[in-house]
Amino acid sequence: MAEISFPLPDLGEGLIEATVLEWLVSPGEQVERNQPLVEVETTKSAVELPSPQAGKVVRIYGGPGDKINVGEPLIVFEVPDNTAGIVGTVPKEEAPKRRVRLSAVLDED
Amino acid sequence: MSNSILEGTNAAGESTADDTVATPAGSEPATTVMSMQQALNRALDEVLADNPKAVIFGEDCGRLGGVFRITDGLQAKHGAQRVFDTPLAESGILGMSVGLAMAGFHPIPEVQFDGFAYPAINQIVCQIARMNYRSRGTLPMPVTLRVPSFGGIRAPEHHGESLEALFAHVPGLKVVSPSNPHEAYHLLKYAATRPDPVIFMEPKSRYWQKGEVDTARHDAGGGSPTGAKVMREGRHLTLVAWGAMVARCLQVAELAAEDGIDIEVLDLRWLKPIDAEALAASVRRTRRAVVVHEAPLTSGLGAEVAQLITQSCFDTLRAPVERVTGFDVPYPSGDLEDEYIPNIDRILFGIQRVLEYKRG
Amino acid sequence: MDTLLPVASGSAAGPLTADELRELYSLMVAVRHLDTSAIAWQRQGIIPGYAPELGQEAAQVGSGYAVDTTRDFVFPTYREMGVARTMGVDMVAYMSTHKATWHGGLYNPLESRLAPIQAVVAGSVLHAVGWAHGQTLDGKDGVALTYFGDGASSQGDVHEAMNFAAVMKAPVVFFVQNNGWAISVPTERQVAGGSVAARAAGYGMPALKIDGDDVAAVLEATRRAFAHARSGNGPVLIEAMTYRRGPHSTSDDPGRYRSLDEERDGAGTDPIERLRQRLQADGIADETFFAGALAAAKAEEEQIRTGIQALGSRPGTEMFDLVFQETTPALQAQAANWREESEHV
Repeated sequence: MAEISFPLPDLGEGLIEATVLEWLVSPGEQVERNQPLVEVETTKSAVELPSPQAGKVVRIYGGPGDKINVGEPLIVFEVPDNTAGIVGTVPKEEAPKRRVRLSAVLDED
Repeated sequence: MSNSILEGTNAAGESTADDTVATPAGSEPATTVMSMQQALNRALDEVLADNPKAVIFGEDCGRLGGVFRITDGLQAKHGAQRVFDTPLAESGILGMSVGLAMAGFHPIPEVQFDGFAYPAINQIVCQIARMNYRSRGTLPMPVTLRVPSFGGIRAPEHHGESLEALFAHVPGLKVVSPSNPHEAYHLLKYAATRPDPVIFMEPKSRYWQKGEVDTARHDAGGGSPTGAKVMREGRHLTLVAWGAMVARCLQVAELAAEDGIDIEVLDLRWLKPIDAEALAASVRRTRRAVVVHEAPLTSGLGAEVAQLITQSCFDTLRAPVERVTGFDVPYPSGDLEDEYIPNIDRILFGIQRVLEYKRG
Repeated sequence: MDTLLPVASGSAAGPLTADELRELYSLMVAVRHLDTSAIAWQRQGIIPGYAPELGQEAAQVGSGYAVDTTRDFVFPTYREMGVARTMGVDMVAYMSTHKATWHGGLYNPLESRLAPIQAVVAGSVLHAVGWAHGQTLDGKDGVALTYFGDGASSQGDVHEAMNFAAVMKAPVVFFVQNNGWAISVPTERQVAGGSVAARAAGYGMPALKIDGDDVAAVLEATRRAFAHARSGNGPVLIEAMTYRRGPHSTSDDPGRYRSLDEERDGAGTDPIERLRQRLQADGIADETFFAGALAAAKAEEEQIRTGIQALGSRPGTEMFDLVFQETTPALQAQAANWREESEHV
């Protein structure tokens, strides 16, 4: 598992920080790309930030009322190392199983 | 063949080491643990760096880096002139390869999945495979066609097929399939520097498996990159396989050892030309052979392998060569995949039939 | 672009009724809910993968609604869940393909009038031409509706299909959902000239380039095309401009090739929201109706999910039994061998 951290993006010209109003996701939750993550307020407006990717939320930064600077961590996702291809799944490595036993009298010539 | 390839490997033939193997101080470490995806990516990166005429193209292999990430980062590093996305047309991709090769390039096209090679068969069979012949050697076709191949990932239809017999049957094509990251790295580097067309069949169910890759040397002991390779030595019977089936055969060999049967596993690697000498050398010692492949039985490559062994080892063979293969059915949906691909028990049954064979 | 002559009479000539518009809305909501649920099923391990059609509800429901399942036949790709639902196909049988139960799905193509799910891009476009020509040979009036996308339009088979159909005056409606993306490749890197519809002129075929997110426009255009083809005038091409709002498949990561801003700009207004606003403006649906449509969609999804979860694997013998109508001794021997040597699902 790898972790991908997303910083607070620049939400408008010259803005350097935003205030968290409400988190719409919580750690452990699986979110989809574009799903609203958090509502933040800047000096200009209140906005919902959509998730830049699908993944499992590991950590979120700041509770309601906390200020976060642009460029500082906002949320961390967990991303599996073994990402499946465009279709199908990553095969699971299982311990070999057998039912069949071999029997033979081998001439060792 | 030394036993050195067996050291530090598990039953599947993969490295159990955690990281880079220690090398003399000051030198670049040559042995690294990586997945087959990473090994293929590295090989392509080096081929592009070494040969300014090498170009990579296909569906989604530029910006996206391939649907299995095999060409990940190559467009950013080598430029969109040399690693590019094409429109969605396999016949177009392969037909265009012919023209690029005629213009002096080394095309490394990708067909996104095995089953999508079918729309390109006309260009592969009628054009790529014969242009050298047609032009009396003046228009060689150094085309390295990468095809994510074989089954095992519960994918939709046409994403799990084994086309090696189809390709091997076409005069003018060479066919190769790696079984682990080390082989993938070296065989792709070798294939992508050849002057003839090579179909490079990547076993997609092994893409994520990690293994040790010694980038400095391919075969311990200096074996030929065009030959087969003994992955496990044994005295009683030779299992012949390629691609994803090699790892399964290595598992089977470990299980057979519990029963006192000592099995040799030969990774054929090149499916055309087939290394008949390696087959003969192995089976002359073991006197018994079973060939394993995912492709359907009838007119599969197992028949060719069996014939080559019979030809060279008729006098010493203790039993007819057995084939354990997929069935003569369209590759099934994910739920039935494990019923189709040769499993451990079916391979053991095949071995048992050979062991208990009585003449007359 | 609209090079198709207007229809003088029949259902294709008039505007849609309030009942039709309400039904279209309910269908779109049912499709949207099932589609987004299928992504959740994949995340929950109920199915191994899925190809979402988020954003294409109007194009799929509107066109599928024009089909007369007593005489027409439809050729889908792997992303036509909305068409299947609109045609009344058994959705457990349809979604079974995404559970990896059977590649083509478990529904009966002949009874449902929907060809098996097709994994080969542009694989079935020529089949539609053949089926349609069969109608001509039999003196019947069925129309073949074939779906493909902007990506598939690059395949040589599509050229062959359009040329054949135009030469033979086959009753085919070529329905292109131009959703902007072929996995990671945008339409401008896929379709030279920027329009698939423009190509129809070269075949002497009328074409309609329509707003694929306006369900009424899609239905009206498809009805006109059907009327044209059914009257023996030959094929029609419809290019419905829409947008693949989601990933190509559940394991695709669009962040590697497009930004959220690009997505927002490309997607435009949600097609369901557009219809909802129209219904409200026309005064033909209220909040009670919208809530009822969503509740029905949820109940339906629950039923389908239960069916999918209950769906077991097909017996392995079907691998052998369904290869031929007349099996072979060699295949029977392999089946016998398989029965002996494998543990079976």
